[in-house]
Amino acid sequence: MRRVGELIGALLKNPTTVAGLTFIILLLGMAILAPLLTEPNTPDAYQMPRDWGAIAVPPGSPGHILGTTNVGGDVLYGVIWGARTSLRLSVIVVSLTVVVGVTVGSIAGFRGGRIDEILMRIVDVFLSIPELIFALAIAAVLGPSFRNIILALAVVFWVKYARIMRAQIIHVKENEYVDAARVIGDSPWRIYLKDVLPNSITPVVVQATLDMGNIVLVGATLSFIGLSEAGIAEWGVLVSEGQAGISAGRWWASTFPGLMVFLWALGFNLFGDGLRDILDPRTESSR
Amino acid sequence: MTAAGDTARPPRGSRDEVVLAVRDLGKYFPIREGALQKVVGHIKAVDGVSFDIAPGQTVGLVGESGCGKTTLGRCVAGLSEPTNGGVYFGLETATKERLDSLLSVTERTASQESELEQLDNRHRVDRMNGDAWRRYRRNCQVVFQESFASLNPRQLVKDIVGRPLRVHREASGSQLTERVVELLAQVGLGRQHLYRFPHQFSGGQRQRISIARALALDPELVILDEPTSALDVSVQAQILNLLHELQQERHLAYLFITHDLSVVRHMADRIVVMYVGRVAEAGPTEVIFDRPQHPYTEALLASSPDVDAHTVDLQALEGAIPDPALPPQGCRFHTRCAVATPTCGWEVDDVVRWLEDVEGTFDTLRGVTRMSPFDAWLSFEDEAAAASLAATLRSEAIPQAMRTALEELTVDARRVRVRFTPVDEVQLTVRGSEHVAACVLDRA
Ligand SMILES: Nc1ncnc2c1ncn2[C@@H]1O[C@H](COP(=O)(O)OP(=O)(O)O)[C@@H](O)[C@H]1O
Ligand code: SF4
Ligand SMILES: [Mg+2]
Repeated sequence: MRRVGELIGALLKNPTTVAGLTFIILLLGMAILAPLLTEPNTPDAYQMPRDWGAIAVPPGSPGHILGTTNVGGDVLYGVIWGARTSLRLSVIVVSLTVVVGVTVGSIAGFRGGRIDEILMRIVDVFLSIPELIFALAIAAVLGPSFRNIILALAVVFWVKYARIMRAQIIHVKENEYVDAARVIGDSPWRIYLKDVLPNSITPVVVQATLDMGNIVLVGATLSFIGLSEAGIAEWGVLVSEGQAGISAGRWWASTFPGLMVFLWALGFNLFGDGLRDILDPRTESSR
Repeated sequence: MTAAGDTARPPRGSRDEVVLAVRDLGKYFPIREGALQKVVGHIKAVDGVSFDIAPGQTVGLVGESGCGKTTLGRCVAGLSEPTNGGVYFGLETATKERLDSLLSVTERTASQESELEQLDNRHRVDRMNGDAWRRYRRNCQVVFQESFASLNPRQLVKDIVGRPLRVHREASGSQLTERVVELLAQVGLGRQHLYRFPHQFSGGQRQRISIARALALDPELVILDEPTSALDVSVQAQILNLLHELQQERHLAYLFITHDLSVVRHMADRIVVMYVGRVAEAGPTEVIFDRPQHPYTEALLASSPDVDAHTVDLQALEGAIPDPALPPQGCRFHTRCAVATPTCGWEVDDVVRWLEDVEGTFDTLRGVTRMSPFDAWLSFEDEAAAASLAATLRSEAIPQAMRTALEELTVDARRVRVRFTPVDEVQLTVRGSEHVAACVLDRA
């Protein structure tokens, strides 16, 4: 289809978008190819392997290119499998929150009336609490584990989608093509699927792209303060593991995973911003 | 041409059927105010409109912007629920006459009530369901004014035009594609346009796509809401010709909505002129153009670009369109009518309107205590302002007709009482064969 081609062409014209896309591709490549890049740890590849014979060795040491942590964790392994952990976290949370948010926002916007009022009241309550603090509170209540971080992030991140979706739908359903579909005799459900949803979803896609980055950032923060289980290959956990050594000059254990979090968030934010500029409904309708 | 559909359908357009009967149709929009969104009034967008459309006929619905044409069209299309009255579809002449006689009875007996109820359930658009509703959905289609807004930007032409066929399970797969190609051919487009998006077409072409979609189910009635208003003049003519040809071929009935009389001149059989939610005049096209009975129709003719000045004293339209939430008393046109008489509905609001028009005077008005729309005390800031209003109301600055209608003008310090002769709403009266107008003047 011509539209997809046009879209890719426009994306590649913007250098910051291309930079974002490059980071994303490298990081995703790393996540997907992790089992080929390093020997997976057994029995659980997401657990850091421990080399008790090489504790806190600096980068460049044999067998540990990026050095090890002060409990013998290979930093390179953490960097690579941490990408996989981040991908898992962000894909699960974004899928969950998009599905819930789009559903809630669609019901509110498409049906309107009393249901809309109730749902939006709930959304407003959620939105009034800062994301990080809210996620932190939930994760703390649920107890430290990676699964609970996923849950906490899912609880926090769906509301934005509900809000965006509702606003879009209220706007889109006023279009005459919706009336045209009613005149033909099509059902509300199919009108929603064919006319309303496809024309409302763009800002959700943009937000989801941005959130792919944000979720990893917030997730790493929660892990850093100890709300994840210890020993898993996750960037936030590694930063926290390496933290104690920084004053003694052992910078590598925190710096490399920290840099990864930064690049991940940066990549998705740059790309998401570029996507937003191109997909903005205002620029779209003027074509 | 549409082989699959024709055999199953009963012959239509028999002399005996009325495609559409609109009866006393009203559509009010609530006006809400304040934090609690309390209803403080109603915009009477359509307020008691009746007319018929016969098979294959074109009825032109004309009037200035905001007079309720689109709202009426939406009620006819079943997109909007009427507040009053109804839209009846598929009546035979005899049934229609029966309906009219039932509707004209003010105190109906139980058996008449149930007969009307039955007619409503079978023929009234907002009451239909099941088969009747499906039949209506096939037979009444709409072409909207904005070709861009009325086509889903994310659907291909093939899916847009083929959608009605798919919804009503008339075709699928390659058969559907062929039907779509046929429809496109009829509106002057071709196979090469099947897999394109609406934004890849010009305004005129998009309107052709809309028309093809409207024709897909082979309807009896198509509502055209200003189908050419958004187009360039040269393209307008092409689309009008296309609509005309299609009507000849397919024996379509059109409800052609436009603000421009010249657009429907050569196409409409009948014209209904609307003003602030009501019918001002309705009649056969030639009669409306040659012997208009309503001053508003004359004014529309005068402002229409290519209507030849066959009458010398055509008055152009001046003044603001009244607010449909507070329609003028008597004749709704009296605030702008050049030939208004003392019995045209002069009222307190005319005095207020006059104050609004004159710089500075409205600011001195402190309050209006109404006994009726025709009778009120106006209180002013000071005695001078009150006296000045009274003097003006007696002077030449006020239309002669309004002064004559003013029965009482009393000044009591800072207050002025104005009282006009109460008048009922001016009703439509018969002016000739199939010709009605709502004006107190008889200029036959
Ligand atoms: N959905 C609505 N809600 C409130 N007022 C409306 C709505 N639709 C139309 N109106 C009002 O009803 C009147 C008639 O509008 P419309 O039918 O669009 O007129 P026209 O098509 O003749 O220009 C206008 O005053 C308009 O503001
Ligand atoms: S009733 Fe006739 S003369 Fe009187 S205001 Fe209306 S249009 Fe003019
Ligand atoms: Mg309109």
